[in-house]
Amino acid sequence: MVKAGGGLECWAERHLRYLMLAPTVLILLALTIFPSIYMFYAAVHRVSPNPDLPWQFVGFDNFGRLLVDAQFQVALRNTAVFTIIAVSIEFLLGLGLALLLDRFIRRLTFLKTVLMVPMMLPPIAVAITWKLIYEPQFGVLNEIMFRLGLPTQAWAGDVNLAMFSIIVADVWQWTPFIFLLMLAGLASLPVEPYEAAALDGASSWRQFWDLTLPFLKPVIAIALLLRVMDALRLFDLVFILTGGGPADRTKVLSLYIYQVAYRFADPGYAAAISLFVLFVTIILSTWFMKRMRLAE
Amino acid sequence: MATAIRTRSRAWERALRIAAYLTILVALVLTLFPVYWIAANSFKFDIDIFAVPPEWVPRNPTLKHYDEAFIERPFLRYALNSFLVAVGTTVVSVTFGTMAGYALARFSYPWQWRRQISFWILSTRMMPPIVSIIPLYLFFNYFDMLNTKSALIIAYTAFNLPFATWMMKSYFQDLPIELEEAAIVDGDTRWGAFLHVALPLARPGLAATAIFSLIISWNEFLLSLVITLTEQSQTLPIGIAGRVTQYNTYWGEISAAGFMACVPIVIFAFIVQKHLVRGLSLGAVKG
Repeated sequence: MVKAGGGLECWAERHLRYLMLAPTVLILLALTIFPSIYMFYAAVHRVSPNPDLPWQFVGFDNFGRLLVDAQFQVALRNTAVFTIIAVSIEFLLGLGLALLLDRFIRRLTFLKTVLMVPMMLPPIAVAITWKLIYEPQFGVLNEIMFRLGLPTQAWAGDVNLAMFSIIVADVWQWTPFIFLLMLAGLASLPVEPYEAAALDGASSWRQFWDLTLPFLKPVIAIALLLRVMDALRLFDLVFILTGGGPADRTKVLSLYIYQVAYRFADPGYAAAISLFVLFVTIILSTWFMKRMRLAE
Repeated sequence: MATAIRTRSRAWERALRIAAYLTILVALVLTLFPVYWIAANSFKFDIDIFAVPPEWVPRNPTLKHYDEAFIERPFLRYALNSFLVAVGTTVVSVTFGTMAGYALARFSYPWQWRRQISFWILSTRMMPPIVSIIPLYLFFNYFDMLNTKSALIIAYTAFNLPFATWMMKSYFQDLPIELEEAAIVDGDTRWGAFLHVALPLARPGLAATAIFSLIISWNEFLLSLVITLTEQSQTLPIGIAGRVTQYNTYWGEISAAGFMACVPIVIFAFIVQKHLVRGLSLGAVKG
């Protein structure tokens, strides 16, 4: 049923499905296709920091460097360690808290929102806050250590504790994310299976393993994947808290790419590392999107 | 026997309840203390910031650092830049994202394009920003747009559009299509049905999407670090990071600026609390 209007209006109405989609698709094409082509092009060249010098085609050399670059391997390992430990802790804490709150304090929306606050804050402000807490001379953490009679530490400045410090700050900011999604998952659980299980005399523990966890599985998968992808791109916290140090102990992939591109002025190699990160992310996001398809 | 079990389980239940309350109390303290701490330090004189043992409550509150940051140093300018960029990004991405979200929720396309395009749009959101900073840098350099707020708006839009599209798509899918069909039967155009029927109904979703977009842009750091160079376009996070130097960290100033950067976000968080789940999971989980 198209109202008779001007010819243009009529045409627009007939092609509305394409016209409404067009701006988004065009903007995203422009802003993602260009970077992608550039990355592939730069990754097979030796790019000089001097813009007047021509790029030198080097084939797959930049990718070969990935295999022998010790710094890249350190960054890769740090990113893996950070991602696995931080996301695991966030998951266990978030799920635990959600189970508690869901069971004992159901209707306190306000309390939930307060617990939610950290993940909304600017990561830079979070980094500053933790820098203040970790400060070796006058920081709160060392004061607590001192009161407890424990040795004070350099925290973010200590070779062995730097990664731990980053993880704690990240856990502080992102546990609420898992917690929130788990709460939503728990709130949507069906009641009947639990009534049946209770009649059968199943313990709470059994109910948790046999009912709650399987029902939560799709939500858990989405929460974990989103967290893992965010953890892989960690930058702000490290940039402020440790700058990648001490002794490269917290140098993560994003920071390394940034350094290679800007400090070492080697965009070709930075592009190769970026493509590697992109490759890993694509594998994960394909998996994520399969989940979304199931949820749809 | 049965009573014994029941009393034991009742005591057990009570112990569990107390443990739960205690855990939640600890979680609350751990959540709030860092926020309190940055606020408290922003109101202290330098000498009190460095006090050992730390001063848990500022004894000598002062607005000195707010004066330093926002009057003497250009933090007001940074905040204004952040605000303008966040609003610009939000207007662009919510406008286009809403139209695209509606199209993907309602229209059918040949060859299953609807799904393909939906997931392609989502996949662009998955791209880590670090991957695109070099090309974006060169792109803006080529068009002579480095160090401009427009460049930031364009870059942020690339990361916010997929989010806005998916979020609005999930809200439109929740609306009954019958109302729009009725409007069309009554002689409205397809576009009119979107504008006059669907859009007003999706208003809460629209507001939530806009606020999320504001938060994402307000918090962003890496792209701004690469694209901006001077206070003409630098955003608040960049201004703060700039006061953490190799030689000195201006604790009072960055605490004041950092705390001020958090205030609007906390307000927003309370406004969108009902939509948090959907927003954070890109519409995948409906809370």
